Amino acid sequence: MDEFGELAVREREAKRIARRQWFWLHFAVYATSQIFLVIVWALSAATYPWYIYPLFGWGIFVAAHAVFAFVIRHPDEILIQQAAKRLEDQP
Amino acid sequence: MSLSWLLSPYSEPGTYRAIAYLLLGLPLGILAFTFVVTGLSVGLGLTVTLVGIPVLVATLLGVRALAGFERELAATLLEAPMPRHIRAPHQANGFWWGRLVELLTERRTYAELGFLILRLPMGIADFVVVVTILSLALGAFAQPILITAGIHTEFGSWTVDTYPEALVFVPISVVYLLAGPRLLLAWASVSRRFASAMLGQLETHELKVAIADVLTRSGRADAFTILDQLSLRLGRGPFLSPTRVEAGLLALQSTGQVTSNREGSRIQYTLA
Repeated sequence: MDEFGELAVREREAKRIARRQWFWLHFAVYATSQIFLVIVWALSAATYPWYIYPLFGWGIFVAAHAVFAFVIRHPDEILIQQAAKRLEDQP
Repeated sequence: MSLSWLLSPYSEPGTYRAIAYLLLGLPLGILAFTFVVTGLSVGLGLTVTLVGIPVLVATLLGVRALAGFERELAATLLEAPMPRHIRAPHQANGFWWGRLVELLTERRTYAELGFLILRLPMGIADFVVVVTILSLALGAFAQPILITAGIHTEFGSWTVDTYPEALVFVPISVVYLLAGPRLLLAWASVSRRFASAMLGQLETHELKVAIADVLTRSGRADAFTILDQLSLRLGRGPFLSPTRVEAGLLALQSTGQVTSNREGSRIQYTLA
């Protein structure tokens, strides 16, 4: 790997870190909001657990964000890996 | 955060261009959403009679035209980074079938479709943000006029119907006159990123053509030089990153179109 390859690796790493930081920020906002809603529900002495709607509704987006931050790789990363493998396989 | 930093957007033309873009979001969003949803619904509904296929193709052509307009608008009013598109020679003069296949297979077509569908909710948000901030900023100036005209503002049981009472809007207006332009620019930067991500895509085959063209002109070059040349040719933006150039170079290498040899800490590339 030459200087440019190292630059590209650092760029990908920086993007990966940023994606994960954004996810944790999203998760913190989500968790704080849900705790607040549960406290409101508990203090209001309501019997019907209405807080489950935002908990699961927003939770779907948090789960999707987690998949994006931790599981899905950028298409260019996949292309680089595929091309590098093709190059390795060449005689 | 200083007062001059807060007030500087008033003297920058970019602020007014951003406001114009955000205000245009609602009408353009309605237009784009209506066009896409109508075209796709009619086209898909009539596909069984085969009449739907030309309707779908016409819709996708319309999507491309509308997205082109949106691309220009975002680049002009928000200075959103967009690539200067290049086309492979065979595509520039291709037959209609080739163009149709290109239209249907390019990732850009579907990104444009997604942008135009999301343009309505984004446009509503843009419009609401601008109108709210402007209303709060100009509220204190509007109140005396409204009171003179006999229009009274109500807050619960309290009615603002005298000039002294209208002074209650002054602090709110002062806050929004100071912070409003910065808030608007911050919101516009979200729209700029959204437009750039959805409309500023560079297809992999276009990147490969551009890299091959750079190597044809320069003979041999390292990746840093190629990136610089591509920036001059296509413009700067998230669509052109070291990772993308590396991916393009590796793809060309793996298909034997480009050869490389290491010289010191850098790899030199040449067309095969």
